[in-house]
Amino acid sequence: MRLLTKTTLYFLLAMIPLLGLTGYLLFEQFNKQINQRADKELLYEEVQWVEYLQASTLNGSRFLLQTPEILIYPSDKSVIEYPELSTVYVNKPNSKIQIPTRQLNDVVNINGTAYEIIIRKSQEQKLALVENIIIIMLLVFAGLLLATIIFNWIISRRLWKPFQTSLQKIRNIELPQMSKIRFEETDTKEFDELNASLNTMVNKIHSDYVNMKEFTEDAAHEMQTPLAVAQTKMELLLQDANLTNAQTETIVQATTALQRLSKLNQSLLLLAKIENQQYEADTSIDLVQVTKKYLQLFDEITSDKQIKVVTQFDDAFEVKLHPFLADSLISNLLGNAIKYNSTNGKIEIEVSKLHYCISNTSEHPSIDPQKLFKRFTAAGSRDTSTGLGLAIVKRIADTHQLTVSYTFKKEMHKFCLNKNQ
Amino acid sequence: MKILIIEDEIELQESIQKYLEYQGFVCESVNDFVKGANKVQQYEYDCVVVDINLPNGSGLDIVKMLKEIESKSGIIIISARNALEDKLAGLELGSDDYLTKPFHLSELNARIHAIIRRRNFKGSKIISFNEIKLNPEGHAVTVEGRGVDLTEKEYQLLEYFIANRGRVLTKAAIASHVWGDEYEQVSQYDFIYTHIKNLRKKIMEAGAGDYIKTVHGVGYRFTEN
Repeated sequence: MRLLTKTTLYFLLAMIPLLGLTGYLLFEQFNKQINQRADKELLYEEVQWVEYLQASTLNGSRFLLQTPEILIYPSDKSVIEYPELSTVYVNKPNSKIQIPTRQLNDVVNINGTAYEIIIRKSQEQKLALVENIIIIMLLVFAGLLLATIIFNWIISRRLWKPFQTSLQKIRNIELPQMSKIRFEETDTKEFDELNASLNTMVNKIHSDYVNMKEFTEDAAHEMQTPLAVAQTKMELLLQDANLTNAQTETIVQATTALQRLSKLNQSLLLLAKIENQQYEADTSIDLVQVTKKYLQLFDEITSDKQIKVVTQFDDAFEVKLHPFLADSLISNLLGNAIKYNSTNGKIEIEVSKLHYCISNTSEHPSIDPQKLFKRFTAAGSRDTSTGLGLAIVKRIADTHQLTVSYTFKKEMHKFCLNKNQ
Repeated sequence: MKILIIEDEIELQESIQKYLEYQGFVCESVNDFVKGANKVQQYEYDCVVVDINLPNGSGLDIVKMLKEIESKSGIIIISARNALEDKLAGLELGSDDYLTKPFHLSELNARIHAIIRRRNFKGSKIISFNEIKLNPEGHAVTVEGRGVDLTEKEYQLLEYFIANRGRVLTKAAIASHVWGDEYEQVSQYDFIYTHIKNLRKKIMEAGAGDYIKTVHGVGYRFTEN
């Protein structure tokens, strides 16, 4: 729910009892006024009747009057000082509707006889009063509703504009370009505070990002140097003519481990760089061409392992990808297909406009797709495998609107890159 | 041939110097920017091996300096930075090559050989090892004057072997030199055996000695004895 809708609702909810109270007070006020007017009239009428009675009963005759509105008769009730005024409800003839009626009740002494005088005045207009007040209140409520909606619309367009601008900026934010983003000052205090906080936050995130970027690069850099020292020392040691076969083999094993460590380091660095979006792509690249390049490059090894490569390039597979990442993506997929293939095996590459699939035979059984793309889940512990290849493939796919999938069918491991629609 | 090594990591500097001296180079080593800058301005070297991150300065400025004084030395940058931008920056400044740490000493040596040969405009470019002669232009090989028909890979192998004569070369080092780093992806070097077998057969049939020796469990060594 939008903030404005919410405030409007709360406002309207608060208005309901307020309007109810207003209606009640209005009713009370009108009711009082109507009664007062009726009372005045009743009292005036009584005075007239009393005068008339006094004149007409001078001769000692008794008077009796009985109409629905006026009742005058001699009574044995004691005389009261002030007339009683009250509201009674009288049934309308042939109807169940009760009509509020103002009634004057008095007992007066007229020429020695006590007379009870009851005068009634219908107040039928009171029935319409409640109705009218409710109608007015509803009209006011509708007016308020309409006014708030219109005001809110204007407010959301005008007042909230700086907020929308800031929001748009946040939505389009990209880590590498973060330093260029500034949230401008507005004429609203709250938005100024928000924008100032956003500016601080953006600066903080950007400096953290730069720090982290520098740290990963420096860490990798610092690690490569001691690795280089160790590797060159091993290479020199290998030249010693007095070494036994066992010693040489140990040195070679150590060298292999060092090379693996160095590769691991570089792969982690690459993963970090992809995650930091340090490879921006401005042009599309056709993965078919990249594949052809790598097939040629790996030709030696596929023919050595007697792997049959079957390709079916129906269409170009264009992806907006940094050329370095395109190389990394294809060399990892194709490299795996070769590395884990069996001698006399087969590689099938099928490419259409939206799908890029590469399948290979292997002695390895089917792999759990859940674990497959996680880091360090290499199938078997090959000497130089880093266990990061597929993690890199997944990371590249995820950051470039591609989905990578794995299936095992007809004794073939199949990896597919699918373009997200 | 004189080589200047500018590298602040003493251990690495020593390894490089030791390896290159064994291959017949005369080496001088310094471990910081100022000393390196002084050396390149005072003396003429055939090749300068320079690290980028140095105490008191950047190796890239030494490359600039060498270009400003129109030095004839070849330049090879060795750096732990693998970023493409760094490589391009180095090559744009006029460096002849760029090698990322860690590297094989045999690779560095082969590249220094190649750079010096490319820069040697007047002298002969022929590489020779006893009766074997290699002409880098056109990749022609002769044994006692008779032409030997080698494939491109076999030629590259032979050139690499001769540059690193006498040294034990691991399969990984040979594969990465001839087939490139991409082959690390596949992490299998069995296929190089076929190429080496063919090369050995061809040069022996042409009348050369059996110079390619198998080092069990390691790789190969190109040597006279």
